[in-house]
Amino acid sequence: MSGAAEADFLLASRGVSRELGAWVVGIAFGRDGAGCAFGLGDGSLRIARLAAMDGEWQEVAAHDGACLSLCADVKDGFLSGGDDGRLLRVAPDGAVEELHKAGGMKWVDHVAAHESGVRAAAIGKQIHLFDGKGQALKVLTHPSSVGGIAFDAKGKRVAGSHYNGASLWFVAAKEDKPRLLEWKGSHAAIAISPDGTHVVTAMQENALHGWRLSDGQHMRMSGYPSKTKFLSFTAKGRWLATSGADSVVLWPFFGGGPMGKAPTELAGGDNVFCTAVACHPQHEVVAAGFADGLVLMAEIASGKVVPVAAPGRGPISALGWNPAGTHLAFGTETGFAALVDLSKRP
Amino acid sequence: MSDANPVPVTVLTGYLGAGKTTLLNRILTENHGKKFAVVINEFGELGVDNDLVVDADEEVFEMNNGCICCTVRGDLIRIIGGLMKRRNKFDGIIVETTGLADPAPVAQTFFADEDVKRATKLDAIVTVVDAKNLPARLKDSPEAEEQIAFADIVVLNKMDLVTPEEAEEVEKRIRAINPYAEIRRATKSDVPIDSVIGRDAFNLSRILEREPEFLSGEDEHEHDSEVMSVSFEVSRPIDPERFNAWISQLLAQKGQDLLRTKGILHYQGDDRRFAFQAVHMIADGDFIGPWKEGDPRKSRIVFIGRDLNRPALRRGFESCQVDAPAADQA
Repeated sequence: MSGAAEADFLLASRGVSRELGAWVVGIAFGRDGAGCAFGLGDGSLRIARLAAMDGEWQEVAAHDGACLSLCADVKDGFLSGGDDGRLLRVAPDGAVEELHKAGGMKWVDHVAAHESGVRAAAIGKQIHLFDGKGQALKVLTHPSSVGGIAFDAKGKRVAGSHYNGASLWFVAAKEDKPRLLEWKGSHAAIAISPDGTHVVTAMQENALHGWRLSDGQHMRMSGYPSKTKFLSFTAKGRWLATSGADSVVLWPFFGGGPMGKAPTELAGGDNVFCTAVACHPQHEVVAAGFADGLVLMAEIASGKVVPVAAPGRGPISALGWNPAGTHLAFGTETGFAALVDLSKRP
Repeated sequence: MSDANPVPVTVLTGYLGAGKTTLLNRILTENHGKKFAVVINEFGELGVDNDLVVDADEEVFEMNNGCICCTVRGDLIRIIGGLMKRRNKFDGIIVETTGLADPAPVAQTFFADEDVKRATKLDAIVTVVDAKNLPARLKDSPEAEEQIAFADIVVLNKMDLVTPEEAEEVEKRIRAINPYAEIRRATKSDVPIDSVIGRDAFNLSRILEREPEFLSGEDEHEHDSEVMSVSFEVSRPIDPERFNAWISQLLAQKGQDLLRTKGILHYQGDDRRFAFQAVHMIADGDFIGPWKEGDPRKSRIVFIGRDLNRPALRRGFESCQVDAPAADQA
C-alpha cells in the first residue's frame, strides 16, 4: 500500500483526475497555453483549463462515434478527427467548427497541425492539407492507407506512412511528387527528427525502420516484444523514445547512432509493457505510461525515475506535455484521465 | 495476453449475388437485442441497414516473418483498433468480404496481429453460395473453392431455384471440398441467426467436435475440385516432439497449399486432449479438457487444401505416434 501511495504522490499532491467513462484516445495542450483537451472513444472532448484545472472540465460533443485522433491546432484550440468522417476544429472555449467531412463511411484516422499555419488529416489513402483559415490546400494520395502523419519541425514537409514505406511531401510544392522512402511491410506511427534529417516509422513486425534523408541509409531497430505505438524525439533530437518494450527504449541519434549502437533502456524490469511515451519539450526527460497504469518520468542522462501515478487505472493510452513543459497529462483505456502541474513552486 | 471479454467476429464470404448482403441484413434486423459493427467492402445492390458500418479497402500485405503466404488485412487491423475505442457500443463485429476475396488474409489477421488477437476472437467463417450457380463458379474461380474450404458454415442459398437432384449434387460438391463445414439450406438467406452467429467455431475446444457430414474415407469418389480434404486417425499416443517437428516442417513447406488444418491429439502420458489448428502456416494449439470417460483415446487430424499427398501425409502422421510396444513387434 505504501508503495502505491508513494507512487501516487505527484498525482495526489499536484494533480487532478477524472473518470471520463470512455477510452482516452488522445491528449493535446493548446499552443496558447490555456487548456488541455482529452479526446475520447465516445466521440466527446473534455477540456481542462490550466488556470483552474480542478474546476469543471468542459464536455464538448464532437463526433458521432469515436474520436480517433487529436492534436493542438495552429494557434490555439484543437483539431480532432473521428470515425464519423469529420475533421473538427475545437476552439479554446469549446466551440466546434467542421473543417472537412469525408464522404462515404471513411474515417479521419490521423490529424496533425503546425504553428506556421498548416493542418493535415489522413483519410484512407489521402492526406488532406488545409491552411490556418481552414481553406483546403491540396490532397496527397498514397499507394495504400496512411498509418501515421508527421510534420517536420518547420512545417515545410509532411510525411505519411503506408505499406512498403513512407512518403515525404513538401507542403508548398507546386507539383506534388513525394520522396518515397521504401521498406517492405506495413508502417504506422511516424516521426521526423527535429533537425529534419531522419524519418522513423513503427512497423507491424514489432520493429522500427528509419531513413537518413541525406543518403537514404536504412536503419532497422528491432527487438521489441510488441508493437511500438509512440515515437517521441527529445527536444534537440538526441534521443528517440519509444513504447512497445517492458522498458522505455531510447535510441541515440548522435555520435553516429543509432546505427551500431545499443539503445538505452529506462524504468524496466517489471515485465509490464510501456504503452506510451512523451519527451519533455525542453529537457532530456521522458514521461512514460505502462500497461498496468503506471506513469513515470525519467531523466535520460542519470536514469533517475520519478513516479507520477501508481498502477491500477487501466493501460495508459494517451500522454502529453504542454509546450512550456510545466504540465503533464495522461489517460487510460478505461477512461481515467489526469492532469499534473509540475511547475516550480515558490 | 487476451482480454477477458473478446469481441466475437463473424466473417461473411461468398460470391457477388449469392445472398451475402441479404443474410447480413437479416442478421442486423432480426430482433436479437444485439448490436453489430459491420465492416463492408462493396456496395451490393442492397443497402446495409445498420448504425455502425465501416468502409474497408481490403488492403492485404505480407508479414515480414519469412512466411510467404502469411498475408493479413491491414485495413482490418486499423479498423478493429479504432472500433475497440468504443467497444461498449456493440456486441460483435461482422466482416463482409468481396466476392473475389481469398478468405485466408482475413482469417490470418485474427492470429497474426497481436492487438487484434487480444481484443477479438474469430467466431466463424460463413460462406454464402448460390445453389444454382455454384457449379459454374467452381469451374471458373479458385476463390469460390477457397471460400468453401475455409467455411465453418456454408449457407446453400436460393434453394427455390434448384431441383432436389441439383441440390443433392451441389451439396456433394461442397462436401468433397470441405466435409467439416455445416451446410444450411436456405431461400433468401433465411437461416436461423444462431446458426451463423455465436458459433465459436475457432475455439480450440470445439475443433473437430462435429462429425463430418461426409466421411471422405479413401479415394473412392471422383475429385473434380482442386481443393480437397483428407483425414487420418491413429490409435497409439502421439509423441509431442515428433508431432511438433513434423507439423512445423509440413506447414513451412506446404503451408501455401494447406488452407485449414485441424487436429485433436492424444499426447503420450497426458489425460487431456491437445487441440491444434492452422490457417496456412499460422498455427495455434493448446490442451483442452480431458478425454471423455470411456471414449477411445484416438488422435485425428484433418487437412483441407490443394495438391495433398495422402500417402505421405498418412505416413507422416503415423510416424508421430510413440513406438509400438515391443510385444507387438514380433
